[in-house]
Amino acid sequence: MNENEYKIQAKNVDVYYGDKKALSNINLSIIPNTITAFIGPSGCGKSTFLRLLNRMNDYIDVFSMKGTITIDGKDIYKPKVLVEDLRTNVGMVFQKPNPFPKSIFENVAYGLKIQGVKDKKFISERVEIALKQAALWEEVKDDLKKSALSLSGGQQQRLCIARALAVDPDVILMDEPTSSLDPISTAKIEDLIFELKEKYTIVMVTHNMQQAGRISDHTAFFYMGELIEFGKTTEIFTNPKQTKTQNYITGRFG
Amino acid sequence: MNKIQINRIKDQSFGILGLLATLSGLVLLSFFIGQIFYEGCSRIDFNFLQDLPSRKPEKAGIFTAWTGTLWVLCLTTLFAFPLGVSAGIYLEEYLKKSKLADLLEINISNLAGVPSIIYGLLGLEIFGRILHLKNSLLAGALTLALLILPIIIVATREAIRAVPNSLRMASYGLGASKWQTIWNQVLPASLGGILTGVILAISRAVGETAPLIVIGALAYVPFAPSSPMDEFTVLPIQIFNWISRPQHGFSVNAAAAIIILLGITFTMNGIAMLLRSKWQKKINW
Amino acid sequence: MTHLDHEIRRLKTTMLKMFLNVERQVIKTKKALIEFDKDLAAEIRETEKRINGIELQIDSDCENILALYSPVAIDLRFVLSIYKMNSDLERLADNVDAIASYILKQETPFSKEIIIRLGIIEMFNICLEMLENIIEAYENEDTTLARKVYAMDEQLNVYNNKVINSISPYILDNPEDLQKHLYLLSAVRKLERNGDLIKNIAEELIFYVEALVLKHKGKNKKPTIIS
Repeated sequence: MNENEYKIQAKNVDVYYGDKKALSNINLSIIPNTITAFIGPSGCGKSTFLRLLNRMNDYIDVFSMKGTITIDGKDIYKPKVLVEDLRTNVGMVFQKPNPFPKSIFENVAYGLKIQGVKDKKFISERVEIALKQAALWEEVKDDLKKSALSLSGGQQQRLCIARALAVDPDVILMDEPTSSLDPISTAKIEDLIFELKEKYTIVMVTHNMQQAGRISDHTAFFYMGELIEFGKTTEIFTNPKQTKTQNYITGRFG
Repeated sequence: MNKIQINRIKDQSFGILGLLATLSGLVLLSFFIGQIFYEGCSRIDFNFLQDLPSRKPEKAGIFTAWTGTLWVLCLTTLFAFPLGVSAGIYLEEYLKKSKLADLLEINISNLAGVPSIIYGLLGLEIFGRILHLKNSLLAGALTLALLILPIIIVATREAIRAVPNSLRMASYGLGASKWQTIWNQVLPASLGGILTGVILAISRAVGETAPLIVIGALAYVPFAPSSPMDEFTVLPIQIFNWISRPQHGFSVNAAAAIIILLGITFTMNGIAMLLRSKWQKKINW
Repeated sequence: MTHLDHEIRRLKTTMLKMFLNVERQVIKTKKALIEFDKDLAAEIRETEKRINGIELQIDSDCENILALYSPVAIDLRFVLSIYKMNSDLERLADNVDAIASYILKQETPFSKEIIIRLGIIEMFNICLEMLENIIEAYENEDTTLARKVYAMDEQLNVYNNKVINSISPYILDNPEDLQKHLYLLSAVRKLERNGDLIKNIAEELIFYVEALVLKHKGKNKKPTIIS
């Protein structure tokens, strides 16, 4: 695969929180329309790296980074880059569902609203499409004005996914999207994520290795701020190349 | 007696002590209010509310006092609300964490505890003399606005702080700017708390006497104010004035006026509590 | 040590028990055939039941580990290889059990001359040497030793290929002993099969330790690294 075909590329990336080095020399290339899972013990830097991709680390005062991160070949840390634009192309779903305390409709429409979209018909259609993509439409279509907080945990997370989809991004970042949910909601959302990869490129941090095994195409193993191994998920789980990787996935440390 | 029994007794004793402490305050208060009601209730009628002050207690009314209070209330809100809320938003959302920011936060909290008479003196000098507002409603309102500004700022900051950061992150994650996030998510979510704080602050202003006296609010004002530059009086001052008079009739008047003042205060606090409970129901993180 | 590690250790030990039991069966069968010892043959047939019991135990343990622990990488390869080795060993035991049954079905002993002519004793010896090697390779996870059995299996094939020619003259000369001849022919086939089975076990051990798949590679043993 040649350089231009990768969706996301990280080259020699270092991340610092003040003096503390959080990530060292990360090199990673993500193929479009695949699901990539980041695994590793707590504090290994996988969430930090994920947040680099939509520049959410910018909100941490002591954050600084070296190296380049390109999406569709463009360096997203160039000074001229408008962060707000980047985020309409790279969406994010967080660990704990965080719907706005507004109606279901307003939640999904928010992303469009802040871009200045005024056409009510267009917004309605987009909301419906997004909710259908998130497999939530059937459950909420009768009352979109209901408060988002009245939904169950699993439904709220699907709502957050719909909210991210409504602005039609290319990439969706997920930070442990099912870790606060029960097994049935988790299974539903895993099915959903698997279907989404047809249209989107998905990067997912997960603590649950079986989850990475179930739905991801590629897996990256982070440990103490370094990228130890990155490869096809089937390879990582049947015959990893690095001892550290094998020890982690067989539960022998971390 | 073993440990468990001793603990049980300690438990129950505290329960009783707590109850006594609560009751004692309430009992004294209700006794006082009861007395006031008993004395002043009969005096309240439409004439009382519409009459101007007079040397004869039967003829003296609180028209100028309560219209003055209303004017002060409105003008103070006009100045304090936008200033206080904006300052609160700026301090909480825009100012980066630093020693300066911490210093500011401590000092604003301190200002909330400064005795109100100091504000009176400040107002007298700056608004009354330097700005030549003398003893007008404007001077009084500005002074009270200064007084309650720290309270509103603190209340605004607390309300904004209570909005979980996950909400902001969700908004930023969708491509919203800082101001869009504040306007669309943070403010609506914290509005209940802000309004509660504002109403409580104003209800405090309604009862302030000392600073207005220093400004020069008069005790005997034979007309209702019709412009912000007019001289004025307010209910607490009127009450104070009547109590200093020897005639019994005036103490009855004072009692009646107290009832009116309490009525206004309780109503405002009631609205604040209603708002708070409605807000908390709407938003349970 | 994790819970899974305990289970894996236990399984390793049970498997070793299976290996040793099957080895003993082969040793006994050789002796029973050469000495025409019917009592020993009956003992062999009795022990077969116990071996079947161990096979079922190992199958069940493998299933449990997969269901409960979702093992990955080397742990997964371990369970998969044990599962297959188990089946191979059971078939190995079945083969010698069949030979024991031949002994019980005959009134008079087999001809020593024919036994030697067909190379049955050599075949038994080779089989036992292969077993000894593979058991040691299993205990020490020594894949170099495991690979040694390939060459030995070739020798068994030689005897197997020659058997028709070797036995034909006896069938023509002594047709009244046809049944005995056919049983001996069958014994040769079974011993050749055992060689194949031990080779399979070697492949599975190499898969477990090195993640190399050597199956179906024929003479040209170019390994596939699993992906």
